[in-house]
Amino acid sequence: MKLTSAHRIGLAIVWLLLLGVLGMWISGRIQVSGDLRKFMPDARTPAQKLLLDELGEGPGARLLLVALSGATPEQLAQQSRALREALAVDKQFELVANGEQAGLEAFPERLLPYRYLIDALPADAFSSTNLGEELQARLQDLGSPAGGLIEPLLPSDPTLQVLRVAEALQPANAPQRIDDVWFDRGGKQALLLVQTHAAGFDPGAQQLAVDTINSQFASIAADSGSHIELSGPGAFSVKIGNRTASEASMIGTLDTIGMILLLWFAYRSWKMPILGFLPLASAGLAGLCAVALGFDGVHGITIAFGFTLIGVVQDYPIHFFSHQRPGRSAWDNVRALWPTLGTGVIATCIAYLTFLFSGVDGLKQLSVFTITALATAALATRYLLPGLIDPATRDFADSARLARLWQHTQRLPRPRWSLAALAALAVAVMLLAPGAFWQNDLGRLTPVDPQDLLRDAQLRSELGAPDVRYLITVRGKDAQAALAASERLRSALDALVVNGELERYDMAARYLPSAATQHLRQQQLPDEPALRAALAIAVAGTPFVDDAFEPFVNDVMQARSAPALQPADLQGTPLATAVDGLLVQGEDHAIALVSLSGLNDVAAVASTARLHGAELLDMKQASESLVADYRSRVLVALAVAVLLLALTVGLALRSPRRVLRVLLPMILTTLLVLAVLRGLGVELNLFHLIGLILAAGLGLDYGLFFEHAGDSHADQLRTLHGLLVCSVMTLLVFSLLGLSSIPVLRAIGSTVALGVVCNFVLALLISRHPTQEVSNAGA
Amino acid sequence: MRLLLTLLTGLLLTSPALADGIDAAWILRQLAQPAPSQTDFVELRGSALLKEPLRVEGQYRRPDVGTLVREVRAPYAETTTIANGQVSIARAGKPSRVFALQRVPELADLQASFGAMLAGDLGALEQNYRLQASGSAQRWQLQLTPKAEALTRRVRAVTLHGQNAELRCIETQPAKGDVQRTLLGGAASAAASVRQAAALNGLCDAGAAR
Repeated sequence: MKLTSAHRIGLAIVWLLLLGVLGMWISGRIQVSGDLRKFMPDARTPAQKLLLDELGEGPGARLLLVALSGATPEQLAQQSRALREALAVDKQFELVANGEQAGLEAFPERLLPYRYLIDALPADAFSSTNLGEELQARLQDLGSPAGGLIEPLLPSDPTLQVLRVAEALQPANAPQRIDDVWFDRGGKQALLLVQTHAAGFDPGAQQLAVDTINSQFASIAADSGSHIELSGPGAFSVKIGNRTASEASMIGTLDTIGMILLLWFAYRSWKMPILGFLPLASAGLAGLCAVALGFDGVHGITIAFGFTLIGVVQDYPIHFFSHQRPGRSAWDNVRALWPTLGTGVIATCIAYLTFLFSGVDGLKQLSVFTITALATAALATRYLLPGLIDPATRDFADSARLARLWQHTQRLPRPRWSLAALAALAVAVMLLAPGAFWQNDLGRLTPVDPQDLLRDAQLRSELGAPDVRYLITVRGKDAQAALAASERLRSALDALVVNGELERYDMAARYLPSAATQHLRQQQLPDEPALRAALAIAVAGTPFVDDAFEPFVNDVMQARSAPALQPADLQGTPLATAVDGLLVQGEDHAIALVSLSGLNDVAAVASTARLHGAELLDMKQASESLVADYRSRVLVALAVAVLLLALTVGLALRSPRRVLRVLLPMILTTLLVLAVLRGLGVELNLFHLIGLILAAGLGLDYGLFFEHAGDSHADQLRTLHGLLVCSVMTLLVFSLLGLSSIPVLRAIGSTVALGVVCNFVLALLISRHPTQEVSNAGA
Repeated sequence: MRLLLTLLTGLLLTSPALADGIDAAWILRQLAQPAPSQTDFVELRGSALLKEPLRVEGQYRRPDVGTLVREVRAPYAETTTIANGQVSIARAGKPSRVFALQRVPELADLQASFGAMLAGDLGALEQNYRLQASGSAQRWQLQLTPKAEALTRRVRAVTLHGQNAELRCIETQPAKGDVQRTLLGGAASAAASVRQAAALNGLCDAGAAR
């Protein structure tokens, strides 16, 4: 190829631009899903299934808790009403509640006749005596200061059944109302509940919902000084997403500047940063394309973890650059490096293959992404970069400083038994350090500020939402069967409440009795002649007009003949929130949930539930078992990966001694990093694990390159140069990440930064090219 | 609204009338009265559901600064007590019902403005209502128009009719429905023997009674 220098760098820039265009094209095309379930193993136990269901699409996950504060209660109430009005017409929201429609208006007009079927009625509800007493009481109501409030209800509801039902349907501790809308106990914050149509862990849709609420509020609040606070899974995912993205992009910018400066400093050429960036950029895009082709949607975590893991490919071009020297063609150079580089890449790719068989969608994506990316970067370095690089003008082997450094390293001891002692110490710290080894709390996987969690719990309790740790589940083949089964549980639960073993419970059947119960109540309603006769006697003794209560007769008759109220009929009413939250309907089954508050005797509640064919679920335990399950799969995959890796390296090196020298730094580093983290009291989570995997990948490369540094002194110096640039760069990138305020980024950053230092030092001590031995072996 | 305003009648006390120059502040000064106090009332509640308007007779009492009692004597017995943020309603033959004042916004609004009126606190009252006085000391009207949106959704206006230091009648115009009238003190006594709705309405206007 007869290319001029200008052509070459021109081609590199064209390549980069093409990658940019391709990147934009892909980002518009791929569907990034934030669905956490894709990153979780398949649920095995019923509790885990329920948990995953709740996590993703359960109504609880779609609830946003809204608090308005900072102005007078009157202003806040007015803003709460305006906000509800504005959001209620927005298609994004299934329900907006602020207490306004509670009570009388909780029941839409068309469902009003059902008031006689929802709550149990006394046997003599429609007797002339009882109706007479009710009418006398209504007369007094009419004469009371609240008469204006009652009057419109009377024609259709002289027994005020709607109030009785509304009272029965009130959550046991609904928030107090000021100016008709919900307020916290202190009366300082107006509270609203907003339910989105989109799932809680659909960050895009939640972002849109949160933005809508915020902008509507901004125009409503104007300059009243009030402010809005959003809580709930959706708000959290948006907040974390934004914070992580903004911090990651800031760190990313700093990293990029640092990398450019470092590459320029190391190679004294403005072209090197461009060329050095090409394999990484190609790798990332190729990985994304492969995942987009092979899977339904790309998980956000796949992208984050994937790009972390392929950080290792940044080293490939650096090794190549450092071995460039005048008088040797770039192609010869890369061909000489290839066995070492290729061994690392192939071994790592084979190791990542194990994730493909982990049975977890997210890990499969990660596997496809990293393998494609690593292969692409290696091939780009091997077959494209040499064509684009200018002939070298300097040889790093000529550097006097490097030579002095190399001499120093040669004088370093080759530790043997001290390493064994170090390993033993690390294992001891790892095992003996106090505190839990693993972080099983699912909540911390997507870490929410403890402050936000506290605030969320506070708002939840203000809004009367129950604790979600314990739950009774009742299964049925469909919604009606589950409702009926949960109704049968009520007397036992009432007994628990009376005994003080339980403070409160709630179930869907409280708002929507089973069809069977509704039929039973219909049979207890009087027929028209009987009702008219009783009513006529009752009205005769009062100042009410004779035909004042015609609408009442119509409503009772309608209730008597109407088809039973079904869950679907409630859609769009405040009752739907209550019912949907407590009735999970699947394809071929339904689960009625009984939410519990104030469990004073968990064992008693559990045994009562079991006795009645129901089950007490511990959601916390389920989530922790899920995380433990997940981790054990990752660990098994990793164990297999290490074996495969050792085998591949063994095949390539064909000497147990060399294999040991290459792998020992990586294994020791893993132990040391674990010991340091444990010693500092850090509970390990998935992000640490990912960090450790990357560190191990880097360690393998350091080991391989130190071990196979080349036969000549000059080659060894070039290898040292390359390794120095690689490790300083990685250290720079990940220590910045380690300074982040986001726990996830910090976990990955600190783990990798620590790993880089350990790997470099250990590889230098253990793997460095044994000059003497080689010459001996050669002799 | 009506309830709390009617409670104002508890403040009733005759005091020397001013010749003229009446305004809201003057009226409030006249009405201010220490507890305990009481006044009879007669209320008429019209409704399409009733053959004739319901006539309710009884007494408003203020046994102490923080308590308000509305006792209905005819045509039935019922006692409503508002104190310490709670309302209790006792009816003959039934256990009394107690609930938080806040559950009935109508009563809560009134409680808030009531405190201001009892204290003769014009400033506090003006926070919630636009006040407009008219007439003479012998025959004055004070119109209260709610400022807060929450209140306007329930009450359009309240007009107090009085003579000198006597509050004789409260006219409440609800946001929906007919005007409701409460006759107090002298007007209530005058109404004792009157059964015609029109004549009772006439009594509301202080001058018409004389």
